[in-house]
Amino acid sequence: MKRKVMAIVLATAMAAGLTGCGAASAPTEVKTETETEAATQTAAAGENTLTVWCWDPAFNIYAMEQAGEIYQESHPEFTLNVIETPATDAQTKLTTAATSGDLSTLPDIILINDSAFQKNVISYPDVFVDLTDSGIDFTKFGPAKVTNSVVNGKNYGVPFDNGAVVNAIRTDVIQEAGYTIDDFTDITWDNYITLGKDVLAKTGKPMLSMQAGESDLVSMILQSAGGSMFDAEGNPTIVNNELLVKAMDVYAELVKSGVLVEVNDWDQYVGGLTSGNVASVINGCWILASVQTAEDQAGNWAVTDMPKLDGVEGATNYSNNGGSSWGITTNCKDTALAFDFMASTFAGSVQLYETILPKSGALATYLPAADSEVYGEGQEFFGGQPIYATITEFAGKVPSINTGVYYYEARDAVSTALSNVIAGADINAELKNAQDTVSFQMGK
Amino acid sequence: MMLKEKQNLTGWGFLAPATLMIAVMSFYPMFRALILSFKTGIGTGMTWSGLYNYTRMFQDGVFMQALKNNFIYLIIQVPIMLILALVLATMLNDRSLKCKGLFRTAIFLPCATSLVSYAIIFRSLFAVDGFFNTFLVKAGILETGYNFLGNPTSARIVIILALIWRWTGYNMVFYLSGLQNIEYSVYEAAKIDGASPFTIFWKITAPLLKPTILLTAIISTNGTLQLFDESVNLTNGGPANSTITMSHYIYNMSFKYVPNFGYAAAMSFLILILVAVLAFVQMKVGDKRD
Repeated sequence: MKRKVMAIVLATAMAAGLTGCGAASAPTEVKTETETEAATQTAAAGENTLTVWCWDPAFNIYAMEQAGEIYQESHPEFTLNVIETPATDAQTKLTTAATSGDLSTLPDIILINDSAFQKNVISYPDVFVDLTDSGIDFTKFGPAKVTNSVVNGKNYGVPFDNGAVVNAIRTDVIQEAGYTIDDFTDITWDNYITLGKDVLAKTGKPMLSMQAGESDLVSMILQSAGGSMFDAEGNPTIVNNELLVKAMDVYAELVKSGVLVEVNDWDQYVGGLTSGNVASVINGCWILASVQTAEDQAGNWAVTDMPKLDGVEGATNYSNNGGSSWGITTNCKDTALAFDFMASTFAGSVQLYETILPKSGALATYLPAADSEVYGEGQEFFGGQPIYATITEFAGKVPSINTGVYYYEARDAVSTALSNVIAGADINAELKNAQDTVSFQMGK
Repeated sequence: MMLKEKQNLTGWGFLAPATLMIAVMSFYPMFRALILSFKTGIGTGMTWSGLYNYTRMFQDGVFMQALKNNFIYLIIQVPIMLILALVLATMLNDRSLKCKGLFRTAIFLPCATSLVSYAIIFRSLFAVDGFFNTFLVKAGILETGYNFLGNPTSARIVIILALIWRWTGYNMVFYLSGLQNIEYSVYEAAKIDGASPFTIFWKITAPLLKPTILLTAIISTNGTLQLFDESVNLTNGGPANSTITMSHYIYNMSFKYVPNFGYAAAMSFLILILVAVLAFVQMKVGDKRD
């Protein structure tokens, strides 16, 4: 008996130990954080050094390092210190630093998702440096892109990667149904649904897939017609928003007709593309990096513009989803250096964009880069189409809208409405609910 | 007298470091959070607002939905899990059972897996082209895959199933240790008197395990009200907020949306109050010793 009690006690102790194991990951995290901190401080102490937080080794980190090398050519004493910090971690660290009032842990330059940029500037006004008079020429970037990091008429971010929407299509699949990429170029959503139904009937493949409960596509359609969920003053305009109703109608019609299938998570979404279960994708051009992982489909993809809304004045075939911009923090001791660095690399060097494009596919929103020869080169994966020049051209035509500080609130509320509408609820009542939710969360 | 004072001092000396640590690392932040919950504003720009946050949350449709979801999980999942754990513990306590250690480990093992990874595994199991749908289609029960996570009711059921899988073994261990304190002779006597297994369970095991059952009920209530990982990783709160939990919404309010830490802190305190009230009720109902 006693031995048994002992065994159970030990088992419980072991259980406690196991739980302990689960929690034991915390110290490692702390360690990296202290490492980062030390690095940040040394960087701040040394002169002619800039510290940067960004997250993707194949993409923005690579781009930043290349920018550092270019700048070193003219400033040999300059050093760049890039610290890999995932976007969510950067957000948490930024929040911690800003709320504790100790900004010394922050880097000089930080990469932030466009959709979170205004939110951060407004929530933590002491953290970001006003770049309006920094000597960086913002007119050289796509205007819709620049808007993302403008707060109260002031520029706080240097635009980086492009989120221009592409409509990438499997040419072999639509060919099976008797179509070419030209049939899908410069069309309206009504045309698209008709074509999509035909492709579905002839090949059994839906044109699109989307994560269920995500309003991304609706947002893209909305922006393509110059619409937004907020007005210029930042008040929500979800209810009685004719464009939003039209965009949701299009989405509901796509789902109902089977032209669009809903999946549950990101892996299934990307999996659908790479396995060839869906015939096309409409999303920010960064999705092409995932598309190109399907090497067996090389040569069978082509890029064109997205459909536009029918019967809407000012509707275009261009929109934006995602992308990020560089911000400079107030912890930066040498803002003149940071300004000069940005002005002579990301906001002034076509050479930089030429270097980073082939290896990382990092597409610029820096308009002069589009004229570069590298951008005009045909891409084998896309059947020799010079997609990068095409997309940069799209980017310049995206309607400029106010995405709003409360972007994530609106996005979640509209996603909820969208899910309910697909399940059969009344669209106007749902939009009214969504508007109420967002207004409530804004404290109005 | 002197000796007693000295002993007292020694006792306090041993207690002091731990007390100090708890006070600084735990009570002080809790106190600051309480103060924070009376303020409102965006990010660092907070202003005093009194009880505004506490009245505000009851007008918040999403938070009320989250509260409802938490209670659905609580009312359905906790009883099923505890009864299952009790039954398993009783079965494993049977002296004639072979390979006891193996079964015990197998049932306890889920509890040693990471919350995030098990949630992701459940998500892929119940995907439209996941294991269960493939099985159901191949077995001819369904024609095409059913979107378990796309329908409010089935999404909640998946979360409840996941929770049961993850936590039953954990509670079973508590019951097993409780069972060791019940003299085997009591069972033998009952058997000689011709009591059925059900009567034995109902008249001996359950009453004698009452303190342990109470403990697990309180732990489970606490855990369910603070549910976070499953809501975030398994369903992401969807479809249409039908599975979002309070903690998930609090996280969104702090890190995803325009941050309002005052409001988030106030909602956290509501969870604390709910846990305290429920634990109090359970103790009053469950413990008849005084």
